[in-house]
Amino acid sequence: MTNTWALAALWGGLALAATLLAIWFKISTALSEIVVGTVAQLIIGLLFAQGGLLGNTQWITFLAGTGAIVLTFLAGAELDPTVFKTKWRETLVIGLAGFFGPFLGCTAAAHYLLHWSVVSSWLCGVALSTTSVAVVYAVMLELGFNVTEYGKSILAACFINDIGTVVALGLIFSPFTVKTLIFIAVSVAVFAALPFVTPWFFRKYGGRVSEIEAKYLLFVLFALGGLALWAGSEAVLPAYMIGMVLAGTVGKDHALIRRLRTLTFGLLTPFYFIRAGSFVSVPALIAAPATMFILFLAKSLTKAAAVYPAVRAHRYDGSSGAYYTLMMSTGLTFGTISALFGYNHHIIDQAQYSYIVGTVIASAVIPTMIANSFFLPRHLLPHALAGRKPEPAVKRQAAAEEA
Amino acid sequence: MGSTVFVGFQRILVAFDASPHAEHALDVALSMAADMKAKLFVLSVIRPPEPAESAEFNAVLEDMRERYQRSFAPIRERARQKEIELETEIVVGHPAEQIIHRADTIQASLIVMGKRSHTILHRWMLGSNSERVLKYAHCPVMIVH
Repeated sequence: MTNTWALAALWGGLALAATLLAIWFKISTALSEIVVGTVAQLIIGLLFAQGGLLGNTQWITFLAGTGAIVLTFLAGAELDPTVFKTKWRETLVIGLAGFFGPFLGCTAAAHYLLHWSVVSSWLCGVALSTTSVAVVYAVMLELGFNVTEYGKSILAACFINDIGTVVALGLIFSPFTVKTLIFIAVSVAVFAALPFVTPWFFRKYGGRVSEIEAKYLLFVLFALGGLALWAGSEAVLPAYMIGMVLAGTVGKDHALIRRLRTLTFGLLTPFYFIRAGSFVSVPALIAAPATMFILFLAKSLTKAAAVYPAVRAHRYDGSSGAYYTLMMSTGLTFGTISALFGYNHHIIDQAQYSYIVGTVIASAVIPTMIANSFFLPRHLLPHALAGRKPEPAVKRQAAAEEA
Repeated sequence: MGSTVFVGFQRILVAFDASPHAEHALDVALSMAADMKAKLFVLSVIRPPEPAESAEFNAVLEDMRERYQRSFAPIRERARQKEIELETEIVVGHPAEQIIHRADTIQASLIVMGKRSHTILHRWMLGSNSERVLKYAHCPVMIVH
């Protein structure tokens, strides 16, 4: 298929179908797009064309890459900078434990149990070390703990965990040369300057129809992304850090964040997630389901083994201790970005990519599925019910007259 | 042993998701609250997509909060006209759990909610909120068809 508009229509149609599925089944669009990409690649590849969705077409690769960069920037911009100012030490300990546990554990599992090469195993460790900040935040909102000190420190720990992932992804697989040093030096200088330059620039030139804010951000993201690639690193590393350093300024500009979201969800991320799904080999998953099971188990156990002691060491136990388990959920964005990086750079093959993405999806979905299948309102657990009674609709005669 | 008398529902909780079914349930709840001089609690639950993904999660949260806030304005006006004491609230989470939890904390004497018609697949995958509330609620539940 060489007709650009026909190919664009196909991808647009798949994005539309994925969004409808997400609405009907109340699942995240990212998950829906990955699954639609996988299924569409399988069907179209089998029935119509050898190349299937042609996910490696240059313009699709560009849109998908931009989607990953902007999505990572938005994830970083959601950080609440004030949470780091209090309890930074425990945040750091829990966050680093959450990263290093599965990072080292899954690397070891991939190498010693699945006999993957050393570099493939490291990639696997990076991809499965992530934590979904959004999953943690969602449950905290549900239980009303998002405003507590404990809730805030766990959320901050999730950001630290993900910083570990993007830094590992950006630095482990690149050769350490003079280019790396230049990349680090320039990045640090830009990160230091951005919180001051950006608000000034937006105040002076912003608020116009020409959307200069979006152009400014895209310029900075592309420029540092290009520098990262030049140094053999990954463009999402500077994107996440730029998001974090601008969280206190740009991150609070809701109108701008909304416009960026429109651009991201409307155009960019469908290409990113459908493309990520299209590289998943269903035959490989069917051929060796035990591989995915081993990786899932390794991720869950090592995350728990690392985070639990760190949480206990900071005297969080009882009902609040349950939150550490939330950190076991993997974020789809960082998990697939890491896997896709490995696949694009020939660090892992298509089968290994499929196992890692399958595990990323499983670790994001299975806790939710279990929670929904064995539904029991958490607020009705015995400790929550103590002393609660409804206002009666039927009263004794005397009491009713008195009332 | 003295006789008992029905004193009416004094604290009515209505689950509101701005759908036509919820509007219908709200009509019934407003009417009951006016008749029984009850306090009315309108609860809207934002259910984030699962698994939550950062950017999408926050976008859903903001959009739904604004949507519910807009819906509450005419409800407040209707309650004022009928002289009903009204409280509105937007929470995040699983709808059934949040409805049960809120009914429990405000000591509601009645929960009113609309019934949505779901496909078999939808019910199998996500379950029915009204069925779950019926199963776990501590007080009477009225499902408005």
